[in-house]
Parts: sequence; structure tokens; C-alpha cells
Amino acid sequence: MATKIYDVIVVGTGAGGGTAMKILCEAGLQVCAINSGPRTNPATDYRRHRQVYDLKYRGYGDPLRLKGKAHQEPYSVEESEYSEGRDLFEHDVAYSNAPGTDWYWKRCKGTGGKANFWGRSSARFGDIDFKAADLDGVGENWPVDYAEISPWFSKAERYMGVASTIQNRPSNPDGEYLPPMPWRCLDYIIQKGAEKIGVPYLPDRCAQLTIEHNGHLACHYCGNCSRGCDVGSFFSPTWFTIPEAEATKNLTLLTNALVRSILVDENGMAKGVAYVDRPTRKEVEVYAKVVVLAASCVETAHIMLNSKSRHWPTGIANSSGQLGHNLSDHLYGNPGYGYLPQLLGQPATPDNIADSTVTWMPRWQNLKNPREEKFIRGYSIYMGGGCGEFPGHYGQIEGFGSKYKKEIKRYYPTPVGALIQAPALPSPNNYIDIDPEKKDIFGIPQLRFHYEWGPNELLMWEHSKQVMIDLFNAMGGEMWGADAEPNRAGTSLHEVGVCKMGNDPKTSVTNKWAQAHDVQNLYICDASIFPTITDKTTTMPIVAFAMRTCDHMLDNFKQGVHKRA
Amino acid sequence: MVEHIAEMIIPQDDTPGARQAGVAEFIDFMVANRAPVSGSRDVRSTEDALEMGNEAQNRFILGLDWINTHCRAEFGRAFMDSTHEQQNSLLEELAYKTKFKPTTESGREFFQMMRDYTVVGYYTTKIGLESLGYPGLRTTWPKMPGCTHPDDPEHAHLREPTNPMIKTQQSTS
Repeated sequence: MATKIYDVIVVGTGAGGGTAMKILCEAGLQVCAINSGPRTNPATDYRRHRQVYDLKYRGYGDPLRLKGKAHQEPYSVEESEYSEGRDLFEHDVAYSNAPGTDWYWKRCKGTGGKANFWGRSSARFGDIDFKAADLDGVGENWPVDYAEISPWFSKAERYMGVASTIQNRPSNPDGEYLPPMPWRCLDYIIQKGAEKIGVPYLPDRCAQLTIEHNGHLACHYCGNCSRGCDVGSFFSPTWFTIPEAEATKNLTLLTNALVRSILVDENGMAKGVAYVDRPTRKEVEVYAKVVVLAASCVETAHIMLNSKSRHWPTGIANSSGQLGHNLSDHLYGNPGYGYLPQLLGQPATPDNIADSTVTWMPRWQNLKNPREEKFIRGYSIYMGGGCGEFPGHYGQIEGFGSKYKKEIKRYYPTPVGALIQAPALPSPNNYIDIDPEKKDIFGIPQLRFHYEWGPNELLMWEHSKQVMIDLFNAMGGEMWGADAEPNRAGTSLHEVGVCKMGNDPKTSVTNKWAQAHDVQNLYICDASIFPTITDKTTTMPIVAFAMRTCDHMLDNFKQGVHKRA
Repeated sequence: MVEHIAEMIIPQDDTPGARQAGVAEFIDFMVANRAPVSGSRDVRSTEDALEMGNEAQNRFILGLDWINTHCRAEFGRAFMDSTHEQQNSLLEELAYKTKFKPTTESGREFFQMMRDYTVVGYYTTKIGLESLGYPGLRTTWPKMPGCTHPDDPEHAHLREPTNPMIKTQQSTS
């Protein structure tokens, strides 16, 4: 039997991989998509209108649920008791943290990946991000600018459906939007306060379908979106890209297939991948003319670092030595929380039924002058609060008895809190490499993180705490406190940089089309190509850049740079 | 005793209390399965979770003992045999900063934990969520309703509904 050779192998089926599969299959290529875990099934894996009282441990989970697993860290934002007993999240593959590093690597291995459970904030990057180095003299510009990427943002927005308004802000280019989410009482109050201290408070760019879009149903506001949407009213691979790729009949989807390395031919070009079939633990090889990596940022670099050969002694396509470097994450944390006395005793309002970032405070620092603040660049803040699934404010109230119970209800609409999204600057201290000693249970050398927050992002964190004090004063709120420390690195899930794109093959891993400089039939469709992290989230840009990369790849097929199998 | 204290923390008034919501059964289940609902420890592994769960279980059981021992010393009988006034005054000593005594630290820790379990156990039931008017119990909304007072964006003129129950409680305490 002749060995099957595909046109393209796509490793990973999340925001970037799913998009690549769809576009390439629709263009008529034979695609083999390889997913590390099982198939995600909304009918069994998502919340589906269950309430917390339907769960045995009421959301706290069985303390023994991860016994015997290699990676035992607790529930993350996406994982919960609703998916317990299913095998969607990665607990079998361990990773290492270098001394002093405390990276929290959360992985969804089900098809669609983390993009089944994402937060849906979808702002465009602008030239303030692409050309930040021109403004403040630090680091390098991206190899692309806004004029070049803007049409792809439009394509991604049209495809995904993003609700927002036109805002004319220098740090946030406007896009093509569905009607925005209506504001809640707390939004009006915060907006008035923010206005007094000169901080913008605006509708977020939220990829949630406020109206029917491309055949996808409008949101029915059952809440708890991050537990998976039962009808696909926000963009996720499971409801969008994967079924569309499958409909072409050009897709072969392999599940429970953990890719360990890229195979190369006698010239060092990619010829396929080697994966471990999880149930049998056997190693299998698949071949293709082109390989797309979209395994999620750091996993993509992990696979490349583990792809060592005569041609690539330090990992495939790593002649620059930049593979695994430039790791940057969003610093997350709550810089201030408290309550709004104006809303005491008001009837409960449905504040969390969209479970989304209805609003945000987009970057307002260093806009007039890039060196206005003690730090360079800037951060954004998401505010949230009101009536939620649990009265988490109960600890702020003293006592017991009927009076206590009534006070819990009286405060129920009032709590508000913040989430800072501060970009870390690339630093030589922040990178990933292969642990020289440890291997995971499948025999694959483990990934090791080296990461610490730098002074610039920590200055933003301190700045945001003062902003929250001022904001609570200005809006007539009372503060309860603030996080003492930012969250663990990795919490945001927005890490970037480890396969950065650039024009110079000596200092970057891929070219501006996300095609490896050294290996022209290797492309990358995830956030690892982004040279810097911005104050915005990564998912919509991953989709936009993946669309653009695939378009370029299809051109290369047309022009004979790549030959069909 | 757990059921009784839970009902003292969240009693039946114009909405059902902890007893009707089955809070004691929840607490039994969580304590028996060593599943804490509060705690400062950073859980990184099953080992951490177990350690924390064991600690919670021990502290809970010792706490119940502390309450009885304290009642015997103060009132000459176990907690459940003490009068309602005695039970109430003990919990007040454990719950209100102004009534704290240097000798009741262990009792206060227990009360804190008991209150955490009770509040979690109550507000994760349908009864508890209904008592708050939790809007998420309704799972289909035609659209997000949003604020109904956009003419008063600062919400400076909302009137807080009077709550006769709170006033009565304050005047009797």
C-alpha cells in the first residue's frame, strides 16, 4: 500500500488551527488535522443549562479528581465541575518550571481547544501596537502594519461576529460590528465615575452574537458562556470552523494524537509529523507537503524544539536561535474591588446572563506622549460585577441570622471588581526550553518555563491600583480591597512571542506570513508568531492572521512553491 | 447540631432557611469527602487538596467540640441543651468584632468556617438562589435587558426599598 501523503497537516484545531483547516479544505486541499485530545461534544461536555445545584460538589469539584495524574493543578477559568469526568483538559502531560518561575499552563486538549471556552473580547491591534518601537524606542516593530492587516481583521470580524460600537479611539481601531450589548446599571455608574477621572469606559469588542449571524443563532443569554455554548452563539471552532471543514469532505481529523515532532526530508524541509496515539501509546507518522503548527503558542514551540535533526540541531527552523524566546504574557490581577452603595437594596438584575466583558476601559495611558507615564505602552481594564451566580460578597458582611441574610440580599446587586490586562515587555529572562532531564509519561521531553514579571508591567499594576482608588472615589463606591499580588503568569492564556515573526531571518523564526524562514513548507497559525503582546486579547487576531497566512499559502500552492500531493 | 447552627446562620424568614435547603446534608457531604469551600492554602496538587481537606475536617470536628465544651463551662450544658438566648449570645461573641474575647479564638475560627459552609451550601441550592432572585435561573432571555434607569446614569436617585425586618431586628438587639 502506498503511503498516504496529504497536502497539508494542521496540528491543533483551536482558534488558529480550526481556521486554517476550514480555509484549506474549502480551497480543495486534502487536509489532515491532528488533535491532541478527544472530540469535544457540546451535548455531553458543556454546561447545557445545568445549575450549580446539579453538581455533586456544587462547583468545588471532587478533591480526588486528579489523583494519579501527572499534572494536578486545579480548575482553571475554562475547566469546571461541569466537564468533570470528561477528558477535555490536559492532566497527563507534565511540564517544568525553572527555579523562581511559577507558570500556570492551562491546556484544553479537546477539539477546538481553549477557543471553546474563551472570554470573547476581540479588539483590533493598531499601529500603536505594530509600531510601538517607533514611538518609544524599545524593541522592534512588527513586520506588518495596520493598513496591511486591517482587511484581515474585517474578514475575521465578519466571520466570527463581534458586537461593539464605533469609538474613534487612538489605541483601538474600529471594526465591523454587530449591535452592542446593552449596559447594566453598574456600567452607567462606573462610566460616570470614569469620566470624572479621564478614563474611557466603553462597550468591549465582544464576539458574542447579539443578533443571528451567518446562520448562527443569536445569544439566548443563559449565562456561564465560559462553560461552553450549547448552541454556538459565539465563535468557537466546535460550532464554526470544524463543522465547516468537515462539510467539504476534504478533512481527515485524528484525535487523541499527541504530536511530538516534525519529520524532515533530506533537505531539512518538513515532510510530516510524528505523534503518539494516546490509547496505544504507539508512535505514528503522517506525511504531507506542508505542515501548519497551531498547537497553542508554547506547545507549538515545544514541538519545534523537540524536532531535532542533523539539519536542525537545536530544533526545526531555529537558525535564529529565537525559538522559545520572547515569551510574553498579560499580567492579570484584580487591582480593586468593592461595592456601589447606589444599588443597595435594589431588585436583582440579570447582570451576568451574557457572562461577558460587556464593557472595558481600553488603554488610555501614554497616548499623547509615549513617555507620559513611568512605564511605556499601556494596559486595559475590564470591570464586572452585579448579581452573579453566587453572592461572593458574603464575607464582607459581619454576623449571622435573618439580618445577615437580608444584608447579603441587600448587597447582591452592588459588588464591582476589575481585571487588569497589562502587556509584559519581552525580556531575555522569559523563555521556554526543553527540560534536560524530565520526560512526560509518553516519553516526550518536557517543556520548561522561565518567566518573571518585569518592572514595566509591575509599574502598570501599581498604577492600576491607584486608578481604582480614584475611580471608587469618583463613582461614589466603597472599596473592599485589591489583590496583593498579580495572578500567576500563564493565567491570561494570552502568551505570545516564542516563534516571533520578523523580516530578518537572523532575529526571527517566521517571515511576516508566518512561514518559517528556514523551512518554507512550515507555517504557524497561533499567537506564538506575535512579536509582542498588546493591551488587547489574542483570539480574533489569531483568526485574522491565520486567514492571511492560509491565503498566502494557497498562493504558494498556485505558484508552484508548494506542490500538491 | 450542624443543622441547628446552619439554621441560626441562615434562618427561615420571608424566604426558606438553611434547614429547608438541606444545608446540613451538604456540609456533611463536603466535610466527609474532605472538600473545603474556603481556605488560604494554594492548591497545586491532589496532595495539597487532601491536606487542606483533612485539615478542614479536623478543624470542623474540633470546632463542634469547642462549642460544646465552651457551653458546658459557661452554661453548664451542651450547646443543643442551652437556651436559645445562650446559643445566640455565644454565636454573637464569635461573629461580631466588638464582642470578640481573647479566649474565643478557636471558636471564632470554627464559626467562620461554619458560616462559609452554610452560605455556600445555601446559595448553591435552588432555594437559596431564588431567595436572592438570581436571574440566571431563567435560561432564555430574548435580549439582555440592561439598565432601566438610563435617565439617571449616576443612579443617585434610586430609593432603597424599606426593609421592616431589618429595623425590627435592630430595635430588639
